[in-house]
Formats: sequence, structure tokens, C-alpha cells
Amino acid sequence: VSSQQFSALTEVLFRFLTEPKEVEGFLTQLSDFATMNKISLGPLKNIVKSILLVPNGALKRNLSSEQVRADFIALGLSEEKASYFAEQWKVNSPTLTRLAVGQTLMINQLIDMEWKFGVTAGSSELEKVGSIFLQLKLVIKKGSKMENVYIELTLPQFYSFLHEMERVKTSLESFS
Amino acid sequence: QLVSALHNLTRHVVYHGLTRAEDILSLFPENFHQNLKNLLTKIILENISAWRNEAQASQISLPRLVDMDWRVDIKTSSDSISRMAVPTCLLQLKIQEDVALCGNTPVVSALTMELSKETLDTMLEGLGRIRDQLSAVANK
Repeated sequence: VSSQQFSALTEVLFRFLTEPKEVEGFLTQLSDFATMNKISLGPLKNIVKSILLVPNGALKRNLSSEQVRADFIALGLSEEKASYFAEQWKVNSPTLTRLAVGQTLMINQLIDMEWKFGVTAGSSELEKVGSIFLQLKLVIKKGSKMENVYIELTLPQFYSFLHEMERVKTSLESFS
Repeated sequence: QLVSALHNLTRHVVYHGLTRAEDILSLFPENFHQNLKNLLTKIILENISAWRNEAQASQISLPRLVDMDWRVDIKTSSDSISRMAVPTCLLQLKIQEDVALCGNTPVVSALTMELSKETLDTMLEGLGRIRDQLSAVANK
């Protein structure tokens, strides 16, 4: 495989790694590459599979680009190609790391929040009330299902909730 | 019959928000015993705000927030990446189901959820907007 073809292939690979949902696009690009360079698709897919193992393993073990390069050379790739791949790795690793972190397990993740507030005008017990209420709708992801949670807060509760959340933010920021 | 009448009287007073002795006194029939009338009015007046508060506390509503707790964790590794330092927030809300439905045995459930920093920032933005809207309404 010439170095030009290799760089094109690497580009395709990294594009897929940074957008793991675009499986179809990746497969199309692979078969285009195969036809353009007169390589048969079957063996190409196998090679690509083994190549993809390296970045995934590297992510898991937080390897530096030096180590990635060394790995490739150990696998039998020429120095030039290994260096090129390692360079691409260095450039893309922030995105790839962010994606891996984004995939990390989250328990009952809060997805969305909606609210409304209004005034209670009257009730069956009291003819005229005039108290303010706040209603929150929280969308929580439980496993693969979404659950809507509705809660009502009084004004003092809202203000202390806001205060606590601001404390959480300060705490999170001190750890970033 | 007596209890039922008393009950109706107090409900009427609470419902219409009567706060002045004269209003309550006028509810009694013409030839009602004078001292009893005054005594009853006095007792009702003393209890009125407590009754109003309780009525308001037990009116129908969506499930109410009763308590909240939070903690901040730092995620250090996972199956997809072996070393990282990502702070995350765990929030636990204690929610009480509709008071009117529970009667005397309130059902409180705890809901724990996780918020990433981005989610927290967005939430704070939303809460800030609520606060601004509330002050706008209060100032009108």
C-alpha cells in the first residue's frame, strides 16, 4: 500500500472513529477506497478491523502518540506510516477521549427540564388563595427509557434549590 | 348535629376568609346565646390562620419536593477509558406524592439522578430565568 493510499485510508478511519454513528458512511467510503485502489473489499475490511483495534486499545490505556507509533511498528508497519498514524492520533485524541468519556455509564441521567409557574387562585377549601407555585418537569433517562418526573415547589423551596445548585456548580468547577 | 353545624360554620369562615369578629358574629341567628356567640367567635378567630395554612398545605397538587441532597463524585475510570478525572453531580430529591391522596401516611419517594457539568450549567441557566421571571411578576 503506497503512502498516499495509506494516508487516505487513515483519514477514512479517523473520520469513522470521531463519528462512530456514521457506520454506513464509513462502509461506503471503505468500498470506494477499495475500488479506487483496486483492492478487494474483504481483505481490506479485515485489515481495517485489526487497525481499528489499535486506537481503541490506546484509548483504553491512555497511550501517548509515541506508544501508538511503537505499537504499529511492532505490528510490522513501516516507520513512515506508523509516524503518520501516530500524528493523526495525537490530533484526534481529544475528540476521541471526549467521546469515550461521553459513553461512560451515567445513572438516571437528567436529560431535560421544563417549568411553569402560576398562582393558585382558589380551592375547594379556600375561596381566595393567591399563592405562587412552581412546577418542574424533569426528564430522566432510566436505562434506555425516558421517565418524566413532575414536582411542585413553593417559592422558598425554589430559592434554596437554586442556592444549592449554585454550590454544586462551584464544587464541580473546583475539580475541573 | 351539633358537630356538623360547627363544622359547617368553621368551613364557611375559612372558605370566605372572614377575619373580622363582626363578620363572624353576623353569621349566628338572631336569638343565639350572647356569651356563647362571643366565645365561639373568639375561638374561631384564634384558629383561623392555622386552619387556612393547613387547608393550603393539604390542597391537591403535583407531587411536592420535600428535601434534596447532592454530592459531587469524580469519575476516574470506566470500561471505555482507563484514566480520567471527570467530576459529576449526583442529586437526590425526596418527593412526596399528592397529600390529599395519602391521607395520614405520606408516601415519600427518593429520586436520584446524575448531572454532568454541562447539564448542571444548562439547569442553572433555566433556574436563573425562572428567578428573573419571578421577580418580574413580583414587581408588577
